[in-house]
Amino acid sequence: MAFFAVYILEAHPSDVWQMESNIKDKVVFASPKDYEERSLVAGACVRKLGIKFPALVDGFENATEKAYTGWPDRIYLIDAKGRIAYKSRPGPFGFKPQELRSALEHLAETKSSSQPKRDEPLASIGATDRR
Amino acid sequence: MRRFLVPFLIVLLVAYASFAAFVWRSMRQPPEAFARVMAKMPGPVVFLLLPFETLWTHARAGDLQAGDAAPDFSLMKLDKSATVQLSALTAQQPVVLVFGSYT
Repeated sequence: MAFFAVYILEAHPSDVWQMESNIKDKVVFASPKDYEERSLVAGACVRKLGIKFPALVDGFENATEKAYTGWPDRIYLIDAKGRIAYKSRPGPFGFKPQELRSALEHLAETKSSSQPKRDEPLASIGATDRR
Repeated sequence: MRRFLVPFLIVLLVAYASFAAFVWRSMRQPPEAFARVMAKMPGPVVFLLLPFETLWTHARAGDLQAGDAAPDFSLMKLDKSATVQLSALTAQQPVVLVFGSYT
């Protein structure tokens, strides 16, 4: 199970769509001019919010954001076959960690039910032994 | 006065529909363009007058659905320690992707 933040273009850069709440929280950044600036803001984000899992920085052409319609925020769960197991509704309204939790539980359930029961090999050993 | 009521209501309806269509079109634009439109909106008018969340959910639905193959990508980690390819990860384990930004 791997968690990654995908850091994308800013939701409320100060030069485009400044939010009062961001001013209060002292999260004021103009639109990054290039990939390096975006990385700097991403670094501040990860540090200040204490994000424990690793972050990937989207290329400045925003290819990943476009492919996943990730702006302003969104959650995806990809299964071990590379298929989308869960796609949240678009943020901010659709950004629901509880839904991810349910999706993770569901994925774990379907994985364990598709695997043969662990005691089957033991039972067959027992059966041949009894014969 | 009463004979002006129906035309007035029609004008109001057309104005409302035009406003909704304008906001809908903006929502379908790239994020930077949408943000510029929203920044010019006076106060919470767009949230009060329109079913904003419903419009947004549909406008930003995207092409991907559960069950689709996740588009592959190769991105550098923030700490620059490695490049991560999604397909290489998902070959081993499920992956959660959290899209977002600081602001």
